[in-house]
Amino acid sequence: MTVFQKSPLVTVSALTLILSLALAVVAPPFITLDNLQNLMLQVSIGALFAFGVLFPILLGGIDLAVGSVGALAGVSVALLMTNGVPIGISVLLVLALGAFLGAVHGWATFRLGIPPFVVTLAGLQIYRGAALLLSGGTTIAGLPEAFNRFAVASFLGIPSLFWVTLLSLGACGFLLSKTRTGRYFYAVGSNPEAARRAGVDVARITYLAYALSAFFASLGGVLLASRLAIGTPTAAMGYELSAIAAAVVGGASLFGGRGSVLGTFFGALLFAIIRNGTNLMGIDPFWSMVAEGFLIALVVYADSLGRRRYAGLR
Amino acid sequence: MKRILAFVLGFGLAANALGQGLRNMEVVVIVKATNSQFWQYVLEGAKRAGESLGIRVTPQGAAEEADIAGQIAILENAITRRPAAIVIAPTASKPLAAPIEKATKAGIPVVIIDSAGETNLYASFLATDNVAAGRLAADMLAEAIRKKTGKVEGEVAILSSVPGVSSVELRNKGFLEGIKKYPGLKVVENRFANNDPARALSITLDYLSRYRNLVGIFANNNVMGSSAGRALEQRNIKKVALVAFDSDDQEVELLRKGFIDALIVQDPFMMGYAGVFYAVAARMGVRLPPYVDTGSLAVTADNYNSEEIQGLLNPSKRVVKPFLGPAR
Repeated sequence: MTVFQKSPLVTVSALTLILSLALAVVAPPFITLDNLQNLMLQVSIGALFAFGVLFPILLGGIDLAVGSVGALAGVSVALLMTNGVPIGISVLLVLALGAFLGAVHGWATFRLGIPPFVVTLAGLQIYRGAALLLSGGTTIAGLPEAFNRFAVASFLGIPSLFWVTLLSLGACGFLLSKTRTGRYFYAVGSNPEAARRAGVDVARITYLAYALSAFFASLGGVLLASRLAIGTPTAAMGYELSAIAAAVVGGASLFGGRGSVLGTFFGALLFAIIRNGTNLMGIDPFWSMVAEGFLIALVVYADSLGRRRYAGLR
Repeated sequence: MKRILAFVLGFGLAANALGQGLRNMEVVVIVKATNSQFWQYVLEGAKRAGESLGIRVTPQGAAEEADIAGQIAILENAITRRPAAIVIAPTASKPLAAPIEKATKAGIPVVIIDSAGETNLYASFLATDNVAAGRLAADMLAEAIRKKTGKVEGEVAILSSVPGVSSVELRNKGFLEGIKKYPGLKVVENRFANNDPARALSITLDYLSRYRNLVGIFANNNVMGSSAGRALEQRNIKKVALVAFDSDDQEVELLRKGFIDALIVQDPFMMGYAGVFYAVAARMGVRLPPYVDTGSLAVTADNYNSEEIQGLLNPSKRVVKPFLGPAR
């Protein structure tokens, strides 16, 4: 299984490198420190959503609610802080809310047997509606300066938002490759019945996967509120599809059992580089969307070729 | 508006004489969204200014007006290109404040157009006086209601685009101030459609079924206007007055057919045109006024064919004439 994982990782990281080199030549501002910092800022939040969504995908499920969870998180944290709750506590409460909502998704899909697509599709609507209700349909400004400053701060030349992404990358990577629980995600994703008979607590793994997904979506939502300096119910629209795309380009299979956090990170980075590059070159941003679409098809096709060859199929 | 024209044309002549200095200049113009006719007019004006000055104008914008993070990213990337100046219509006032300040601190003059940013680190702010425009809309709506029903009485509803946007909030503020002059009119609701045409259409239809005594609707931007007008057209309702902002092709068509009673038209072409000229002036060290009102006008079926209105409605056919005063 580890070799299968290496192949998509090689594909996506090679693509990232090639694209970066090409841009460095065609659009020299690309490799300035300024632009690299921008790139880090622009990839950080999307990458968090992508890390989260990888867990349900590993199980062969999906989480379409992450964008809405992010918006609800942003609105909630804004409401708490503007009503006097200290920043730290507000953030922790909202992260806990995210994890809780995720656990509910896990429960609905495991205990009630409702397909994850349906559960999280319902969630997408419900949480977006909740965000609109809580905020009264309008933006919540007047957030504490310290909170807003976080998104603008940097440490050792690296934006703090990106530090959060790196730490999350490390934590998720460690969980998936170095712990037993992590291996169980792959086991349940490859063959849930076999995993169950082997003694894996499939319920626990399912709840954990969806909880992690919503947790990271919440974290992304809170950081987005910091970057925008407002809580707005229309934030993070469409983020679920970008997150899924990043995971898939990074080597995850929508059927479950395959994928890696590092690959997902490179997937998110690749999309961010395409957008950054089109801005720098003054190209119509709509070409960026077309390019991103082709990228998804290309990478998945290239991976499938590699896999078929390795598995001895013709 | 007239003050800008004076300044701008005078400068333009001088600039042409200096020609060489401007040749390699680039001005990046960032609009809220490229999918709207209003912003297309702004870019048309900006492009024309670029041609007059012989400089490069790079148009940019997110795909939707609600994409705040997208515009922040575009502005950050624009700063990296180190253009001569940036002209921007901020999608939302608070989130774009920090990036605008970053541009100014990097030595790039920023001219803000259409909607305010929550900062004072910019070169100039060109916009429609949205409060005055909102008041004008209230007057036009009352007038249209009087024409249709013989009296100025009944329920009135507002259809708003995106929450937290300064131009929208100011228009609503002006409208509510203006409508106070008509004690017989009662504002029953203000709903946000998130600038989504489909949602606006259903909200309008909901208004029509829920409020039995509805006599008027105020739609505060082009997308809202088109959708509300379309809803009235679908139901073939002409007894409800509708006043909308801006002048997209569908809105003008609906005006001609009688489903929209008045369009409050801004001058987006001039925002882009003057925006670029001001940006270049700022680059060359000229000190600018903090705020310039680019003006608004009411267009009805009656004055639609005048040359002034036609120029406002068709930017590609607009002939920019020398400004002769009086200065305001």
